[in-house]
Amino acid sequence: MAQPLISVRDLTFSYAGEDRQEGVEGDAPAVLKGISLDVEKGSFVCILGRNGSGKSTLAKLLNMILTPTSGKIFIKGKDVTDPAMTEDDMFEVRRSIGMVFQNPDNQLVATIVEEDVAFGPENLGVPPEEIRKRVDGALAAVGMTEYARHSPHQLSGGQKQRVAIAGIIAMLPDCIIFDESTAMLDPQGRREVMNTIQALNREKGITVLHITHNMDEATLADRVLVIDGGELVLDGTPRQVFSSVRRLRTVGLDVPQVTELFSLLREEGFDLPGDVLSEEEGADLLSRYLKENEKSQ
Amino acid sequence: MLKDITLGQYFPGNSFLHRQDPRMKIIASILYIVAVFLCKNLFSFLFITLFTVALVLLSRIPMKVILKGVKPLLFILIFTTVYNVFFYQGEHLLADLKIVKIYFEGVMFALLMAVRIVCLLVGSSVILTYTTSPIMLTDGLERLLSPLRKIHVPVHEFAMMMTIALRFIPTLIEETDKIMNAQKARGSDLSSGGLIRRAKALIPILIPLFVSAFRRANDLAVAMECRCYRGGNGRTRMTQLRLHAIDWTMLFTVLLCGGAVVIINLYSPGFSV
Amino acid sequence: MKKIELDGVTYRYSPGTPFCKTALDGISVAFEENKITGLIGHTGCGKSTLVQLLNGLLTPTAGTVFLDGEDVNRKGNDMRKLRFRVGLVFQYPEYQLFEETVAEDIAYGPKNMGLDKEEIERRIEMALHFVGLDGSLKKVSPFDLSGGQKRRVAIAGILAMDPEVLILDEPAAGLDPSGREEILGGIRAYQREKKNTVILVSHSMEDMARYADDLVVMREGKLEMQGSCAEVFAQAERLTAVGLDVPQITRLMGALKRRGVPVRTDIFTVEQAKEEILRLTGGPRHA
Repeated sequence: MAQPLISVRDLTFSYAGEDRQEGVEGDAPAVLKGISLDVEKGSFVCILGRNGSGKSTLAKLLNMILTPTSGKIFIKGKDVTDPAMTEDDMFEVRRSIGMVFQNPDNQLVATIVEEDVAFGPENLGVPPEEIRKRVDGALAAVGMTEYARHSPHQLSGGQKQRVAIAGIIAMLPDCIIFDESTAMLDPQGRREVMNTIQALNREKGITVLHITHNMDEATLADRVLVIDGGELVLDGTPRQVFSSVRRLRTVGLDVPQVTELFSLLREEGFDLPGDVLSEEEGADLLSRYLKENEKSQ
Repeated sequence: MLKDITLGQYFPGNSFLHRQDPRMKIIASILYIVAVFLCKNLFSFLFITLFTVALVLLSRIPMKVILKGVKPLLFILIFTTVYNVFFYQGEHLLADLKIVKIYFEGVMFALLMAVRIVCLLVGSSVILTYTTSPIMLTDGLERLLSPLRKIHVPVHEFAMMMTIALRFIPTLIEETDKIMNAQKARGSDLSSGGLIRRAKALIPILIPLFVSAFRRANDLAVAMECRCYRGGNGRTRMTQLRLHAIDWTMLFTVLLCGGAVVIINLYSPGFSV
Repeated sequence: MKKIELDGVTYRYSPGTPFCKTALDGISVAFEENKITGLIGHTGCGKSTLVQLLNGLLTPTAGTVFLDGEDVNRKGNDMRKLRFRVGLVFQYPEYQLFEETVAEDIAYGPKNMGLDKEEIERRIEMALHFVGLDGSLKKVSPFDLSGGQKRRVAIAGILAMDPEVLILDEPAAGLDPSGREEILGGIRAYQREKKNTVILVSHSMEDMARYADDLVVMREGKLEMQGSCAEVFAQAERLTAVGLDVPQITRLMGALKRRGVPVRTDIFTVEQAKEEILRLTGGPRHA
């Protein structure tokens, strides 16, 4: 098997050493308690977990905004927790693992869309002609070319997030982490962003780590990880994970309504599968089941 | 809505002036201001007025917008004109109104002063603020001042701060609006009571505003770090400001204008200030 | 009974300027007493404008807003009193917290109402109870709480004013499923006890199906549909045509119907769907 893009081993983290825990007395509780996982290149992984489960902390550790308390992180086989890492190495990690945040207003720097997209490559010292090419390419990839000369505050939430994504793509990353990037958007904005994410994953082969607590978005992924209380509690395809309806409920999450209905019907003795996600699939199964039972009655 | 108000006075367009290099425009506008102040007599004022009108036409900014820009100055204009007309002491008496005497020189002086104020405002805003986007302006300033970096003046940081401020002003205005409405919905009363009561009523608006500004600043700092921001060192820019022959013509035109003003001052007769 | 209504209301932002925008276009709609009415529509359909008209933060360009049959914008009407009667929780209300303690922040509205100390204390307890916050948090600074807890404190600040009409703009936005359930469940419990009028703005059709009694659907500043949840969701095609969603379970029922299964299509919760399937099969399948 090829080398995973991201490898995490026994990762723990607590805010004890950080200056962020105001009002917390004594030892800060561990936010992550020994997480190990591998992310394959080109995959679309969704990380689910309730608020405060540690999923955003994991993301910040992966691109070195935070430093782990213990454990190892390997990016493309390189140990990034090694104290011998130089500042240049660190910026190389940040370039390769891009990050899009929750609040669309708080991550755009410039007053003009294309200038903002250029911000990353400019920081990397890319030659001007090359930046121009990358910016045009990135804006086209997120479908925002016609807004290149607009000011960010004239855009909708979904559009701002797409500009933020373009700003990351222009740095030519291997992987993009979306840290609840759809949480503040309306359904229209969510759809725009999810379509963009899927297209980037499929067409450009960019590895996607999508952090969310929206179940419908998770059904689009290849793989779903569920984190609760700083631990990895479920890991599998969306079908496998969502069939554990009860387990998901106990960690404060939900399942698609169709999955829930099938689970309730199974409890009533119906011989139906537990890993159904979409309504069309559910309707097929249920209508067939009902017809067969009519015959047998 | 508050956020729809365009900031600064930038009027988007693609005229000759819009396309000029911002550095040249900054220098040119300084030279222009000097030229206006050099005007001494009727003919030089006439010349600078014509020059300014030419600039306005060149910028293709609608007259309506220009007039709107002059409007806030109307009071000062009227005040100085009236003041000069009534209190300027000259030789040729035009009218004696008992309390004040009006002299020919006073009227001329008032007129020329008014022309000077209007020219200053219209000319410099047409060269600079109307035709240069805030980001180009910041960019131009950064590059003009970049030699100062050698003596450790943080020019890049200063320009970055300006850019971020410009980016967040509309966001924060909108936010203030939102917080004010939210507190009004809880019965806060901003419009009655004495000074102290009104100042106190601002607390529920100012505290959330500051908290939010800090939160945004923190988020933005993290986002910038994630995009590999490490200050001005080793940074390149997408928009390269390259000086073309045409940019120099702009500068030379304004220089010539200044020269012309000086010559006219010297060789033309008539009233001078 | 009609509690609050708009009669032919038009609202324009920045009239007479190039930025002029018609947010509401002659809309007439009434909200019933003792019900939770869900208000749905696209971003920019005029929902936010509508709710601000209801508590007098905005004044209609044309038309009238009635509360208990009285024009709220009539001359001499005390707008502050109106806002105590019509409580409005804005989106992301946690960003309006400012006091040193949770209790003081919740007390801000009641204090502005001029209530006495004991009454304010009673209101704080009541509000904390409905948003599901522990009384021990009263002396804590709101800025030390988690995001979800801050949201609850902010909502409690409006509940403590005990408004006759309570309007909430996306009260559960950005929260995880259990957080959504707790906040929306608390609001429903509050409404069931107080029997007042609640207007809930949300994009989540699943939440609407679970917590709202009636629905008002808006589109481009106009009323598109109004009725009970069953009535509105039964017209799935019409909702989809205006770009809105229906709950997944309603879509499942539609898909079953298309496959020739004689199911009802006015179903919008998982429980109802289960009952419907059991009805079709004549009960559980326990061997």
